[in-house]
Amino acid sequence: MIAFVAFSLRRAWQGLWHNRLMSVAATATMVLMLALLSGLIILLTGLDATLKYVEQEVQVVAYLKDSANPQDVNLLETALGQMPQVTEVSYVSKDQALTDFLGRHPDEAEVVNSLPTNPLPASLQINLRDPNDYLDVAAYLRNQPPVDRVLNIKQTVDQMVTVIGILRAGGIGVLVVVGLIVLFIIVNTIRLAVVSRADEIEIMRLVGASDAFIRWPFIFEGALVGLFGALITIAVLWLGQGPITTVMADYFKVLPVEASATVGRDVALVVLGTGVGIGVLGSYLSIRSYLIR
Amino acid sequence: MAMVSAVSSDSGPSQPRLPGTPGKPAGKPVRSRVVLAMEGVTKSYPNGKVALRGVDLVVPEGDFVFLVGPSGAGKSTIIKLLIRDEMATKGVVLLDGRDLARLKRKEVPRIRRKIGIVFQDFKLLPHKSVRENVAFALEVTGAPRRSIGPVVDRVLRVVGLTGQADQLPGQLSGGEQQRTAIARALVHNPRLFIADEPTGNLDPLISWEIIQLLLRINELGVTVLMATHNAEVVTALRKRVVALEDGRVVRDQTEAAYHRED
Repeated sequence: MIAFVAFSLRRAWQGLWHNRLMSVAATATMVLMLALLSGLIILLTGLDATLKYVEQEVQVVAYLKDSANPQDVNLLETALGQMPQVTEVSYVSKDQALTDFLGRHPDEAEVVNSLPTNPLPASLQINLRDPNDYLDVAAYLRNQPPVDRVLNIKQTVDQMVTVIGILRAGGIGVLVVVGLIVLFIIVNTIRLAVVSRADEIEIMRLVGASDAFIRWPFIFEGALVGLFGALITIAVLWLGQGPITTVMADYFKVLPVEASATVGRDVALVVLGTGVGIGVLGSYLSIRSYLIR
Repeated sequence: MAMVSAVSSDSGPSQPRLPGTPGKPAGKPVRSRVVLAMEGVTKSYPNGKVALRGVDLVVPEGDFVFLVGPSGAGKSTIIKLLIRDEMATKGVVLLDGRDLARLKRKEVPRIRRKIGIVFQDFKLLPHKSVRENVAFALEVTGAPRRSIGPVVDRVLRVVGLTGQADQLPGQLSGGEQQRTAIARALVHNPRLFIADEPTGNLDPLISWEIIQLLLRINELGVTVLMATHNAEVVTALRKRVVALEDGRVVRDQTEAAYHRED
């Protein structure tokens, strides 16, 4: 068994070396395709982080009556904080609301200052776990005594939920399609490498080599091509990490999300797994047609 | 190489097997032992072409048989059936007593090791030396590494290539390349040696050297089946001749010539 594995590995290495050109071509294809795949994964991870952030930003805003009893407001705030759909509740006082407003519209200061009283209501801003829960929470709030009215952003939320869903599905769809194309191209490149050695396979069959002795060296060879391709891709990505991170940071500047903490490791694992997996699969499929019928 | 005088002996079976073959005392086997038997063999291809029509052929151990006939007569098809590259559409093909149609997939490589085969185009691996080309046949059939060296040395001695063992095929003459292929075909001590047009790419003098080598192998006890167009060689040797035409055996004669002589 050990002798067989050693034989197969030795033959795989010989095969790679004697057919340098095909090996380099297959590895280069592998690198290009894996780079494409990992680029897409990085992009989709960014998109997903963005979508998560946007989802978190869906807030229910309940304006409070000026006459509301502060104790009632406190109770309501606590009750909301305990609802499973709610991640965070914050109270914005009348003064705070005015300050915020002036911060956003400094030009209006004169108008505001000319008013006898602060016209802005205090409010509760409620962050949701899932934007789909918007209606439930809004309905609950409308029945609470301190609440004057609930800001109606139902349509906006609905549209956003739809768009996010489409983007997610689209991203996964593109990933699947690109994955299949990558699989197809690499399998075909490996098939070319195998076909270019049909003579060798024919000799092996003629001298009475068993299927295992014909197949396994090629499978190891495919695995090696995948491994080299993956390692080169990871090295390239690692070298490009600086520029990529800069771009990503620019992109994510507005987001309080830890976007790239585990992305690097995940991408490396995906690249390694895909490379070796496709290498093995490609060899297996290519060599099959040469074995005993 | 050491030339064996041409038509010295036709008594293959009474000769010992290849030197170094373990067991089996000399002076053995029973004349009636059959290496190859085909009975009513028909082969038709999916495209409707019929390559063989009811071929009967029995080759006893130690025989030397020429398979002759025009291109497309079915010589190659018979060889493909024997190495079980193809299966007979009808009829039975027995090799060393085994029905090739009933072999399990796993048994096919084992049966192939009972056959040594060489072709017109040698089929050597260009980046391997003579020694490595011969050793390859043992490596890919799982022979223990230690046992490979002695076997390779032995068959290289038989074909007279000991001195060229480390050269690449590209550095050899056509005759030497064919002898390398013959050496490779001998490593498993085949029961049947098939030569498919072995002199097709060689000039007449070299062709005779190869024929001498095949005769010597036959003298060592190996049954030889040689498909050829080389009328001069066939007629000179007066061996058994099986002539094919349009997929049928039209003549099966011992001590015969290339063409019908009556």
